[in-house]
Amino acid sequence: MTDSEANSRPPLDGVRVIDFTWIVAGPTCTRLLGDLGAEVIRVENEQTLDSIRFGRPHPNGFNPPDSGAMFNWLDRNKRSITVNARHPDGLDLIKRLIRVSDVLVENYSSRILENWGLSYEEQQAENPQIIYVSLSGFGHSGPQRDYSTWGPTAQALSGLTAMSGLPEAPEPAGWGYSYLDHMAGFTAAAAITAALKHRRETGQGQWIDLSQVETGMALTGPATLDFTVNGRRYRESGHPPGNRSVWPQAAPHNTYPTAGDDNWIMITCTTDAEWEALCNVSDHPHWRTDRRFATLPARLRHEDELDEQIGSWTAGQDGRALMQRLQSADVPAGVVQNGVDLVVSDPQMQARAWTVTRQHPVIGEHLTDGLQMHFSRTPAHRDRPGPLLGEANQYVFSELLGLSDQRIAELQTNGALG
Amino acid sequence: MGALDGIRVLDCSDPKGHFAGKLLAGLGADVIKIEPLGGDVGRFYGPFLDDQPGPERSLYWWHYAAGKRSVALDLHSSDGIELFLWLAADADVVLETWQPGRDRPFDPVALTEHVPELIVASLTPFGQTGPWRDYAWSDAVGLALGGPMGSCGYDNIPDSPPIRPTEHHAGHISSYFAATGVCAALYERQRSGLGQHLDIAMHECMGFTIESSAPWALYEQHPLIRQAGRHAGPQPTEPWQYPTADGRLINIFGMPRSEASWLALVAFIQKHGMGENLSDFELLDGRKRQLGLQQPSVATMLSDIAEFIAAHGAEEIYAGAQAAGAAWSIIRTPDECLADEHWRARGFFVDVEHEERNRTVTFPGAPYILSETPWIHGRRAPLLGEHTAEVLCGQLGISHEELGALIAAGVAR
Repeated sequence: MTDSEANSRPPLDGVRVIDFTWIVAGPTCTRLLGDLGAEVIRVENEQTLDSIRFGRPHPNGFNPPDSGAMFNWLDRNKRSITVNARHPDGLDLIKRLIRVSDVLVENYSSRILENWGLSYEEQQAENPQIIYVSLSGFGHSGPQRDYSTWGPTAQALSGLTAMSGLPEAPEPAGWGYSYLDHMAGFTAAAAITAALKHRRETGQGQWIDLSQVETGMALTGPATLDFTVNGRRYRESGHPPGNRSVWPQAAPHNTYPTAGDDNWIMITCTTDAEWEALCNVSDHPHWRTDRRFATLPARLRHEDELDEQIGSWTAGQDGRALMQRLQSADVPAGVVQNGVDLVVSDPQMQARAWTVTRQHPVIGEHLTDGLQMHFSRTPAHRDRPGPLLGEANQYVFSELLGLSDQRIAELQTNGALG
Repeated sequence: MGALDGIRVLDCSDPKGHFAGKLLAGLGADVIKIEPLGGDVGRFYGPFLDDQPGPERSLYWWHYAAGKRSVALDLHSSDGIELFLWLAADADVVLETWQPGRDRPFDPVALTEHVPELIVASLTPFGQTGPWRDYAWSDAVGLALGGPMGSCGYDNIPDSPPIRPTEHHAGHISSYFAATGVCAALYERQRSGLGQHLDIAMHECMGFTIESSAPWALYEQHPLIRQAGRHAGPQPTEPWQYPTADGRLINIFGMPRSEASWLALVAFIQKHGMGENLSDFELLDGRKRQLGLQQPSVATMLSDIAEFIAAHGAEEIYAGAQAAGAAWSIIRTPDECLADEHWRARGFFVDVEHEERNRTVTFPGAPYILSETPWIHGRRAPLLGEHTAEVLCGQLGISHEELGALIAAGVAR
């Protein structure tokens, strides 16, 4: 390899990751690592498969474990081996894999790896430089380390669920998906890349203990400080505020209906200049001279009337045309898009080739979504589909670990593999 | 020692990237916030100390700028940009958030050519290219266009809009990609010796952060239904949030999968003399307890559970369900989290001295525990220009007279 070839390899080229993850949080982390060029080896077991392999949709027919779109979306760029870690020979094989790997990531409940005989100390005995990441709801220390979570559990406990909703509603809207599964995965990826940099410099590995609820609480700074500094409890101040502003204050700052069924546009004016621009492109230039709306404090005082007038103006208008009209006047405005809009009708995504077509042996031709980190010299990649169950067994057992065919056959028979 | 010990970051971000700079500071980098002379816009975001606005009173700023240093420099003046380029020549990372067509004081790609070892991360709403590149933007507009908001809202309030979760989440999501990209580029640079430019479009970061909406859209072009407090889905599912006797809410997502755990949960409820129908033999079959399939067995089960929750206090229900192995939770507000002994025991909340104000302030702390390179919360947020002299004189070696002239000329503060 020439220097210029070597210097254009993805940033984590040469990093090997043992991936004991499942559902969404752990796989989110290892998807990022895979995109960045790490060799990610999922360790799976036929008795306890990742339920995401069964999750819908199955675009080419329900034929698990390899037909699921959600798995293929989340686990692209990875490899898969099938090993039973609770079998002594399976455990031995994993220990051998640890010796030739850089990172081990898992998101099981907090005592599982310990019970298998793969505590951090036991991993270190195989490879003193290993970077071990445990990603769990409550972390691996503290009185509630045995409590369990899903994404929504963690969101509720961190405060994030309560911070999303209409003020008069009896319950929060929260998040319509496992936000903290994604965020905990991102947190782990950031910590791992930093730990890799530290290790390359010092030779020192480490244990990254990550609690999903803590990753959520870390996102509530200003609201938490309003309590610890000002003594104000969250609900005392009319929160959550629906789609109105918190900070910075802005008015208008809301969703307004547009033509069609359940179509909405978000419009936010933080400055008077933005508000005046809105008035100028609207069919209601008199808003500009209405004293109720003249300044931001006035607009905040009269927000109900303001929202009502703007909503009457937007209703019946084509959302995308309205967005362009407002944007042409430099007013922050955007239609509320769902996943389908992003894939089918988003000109920005199309201009940047956010989706590309890939092949999968079972699912066939399909779209995979974008890279988030565009490096000018060492591009990330999205070339491999999600792995078929056990597709890398030969590569890992024979090429990487040097097991003979006879030994592999023995392990298959005695239940260590599979 | 932090994992990024010895790495110097010039953080020119506005609120889009404030969390990215905070993450890098927490990992041990020396993060120098380059602020306009009037102060970073984040200094004017509330809430404020005692509700009185002021550039040193923003609790938003206290949180997001903690551990950073502050240099106030007018990058739109020729002397200011010259000083900045001088600083950049000696830095490892520049973080910037200007939209390419909007009054950007320097070209980030040209900067990497000027300093080949430098990593320049551009975290912008839509990236460096494309028809929306310079669209006027706010965090809420970003969440609307980017997908997260489209999955959040109410199924039980007619004609209600999608709801955007509060607290700058477009910035949070994207900042993780900026921090990860920077760390990956630093790791790569240890081998190649070379820097590079990193183009991060917040719109694309959010397009990934929508969980099952993505595969349903990519493979089936099938939109999902928004539902209160639970996952959007291709079909309606049963509610997860139930009111307690003490006016709070319990989230019951995470019905036990194992029989042992289910029986423990039933025993906990029946100990209180309720949940008679939970003994139904049918519910011993894990599939008959599974939410989301609109099964009659689940309807009966939920009716008993709702009745039990309505008759008891949130903390008691939470502790009992978790002891039985059910991943139930209380829907807490941020202020309520501080009372939980678990987070105290793990050292999550940290106390920081604000010496000028003679007070100690409790902050949410590290999003991860690194065993060998602990997260560094760092000092209280910097005062505006607090480190201008320290950096320009101490680091660049300009004289105090020269700095005085720059201050008089309105270039630095």
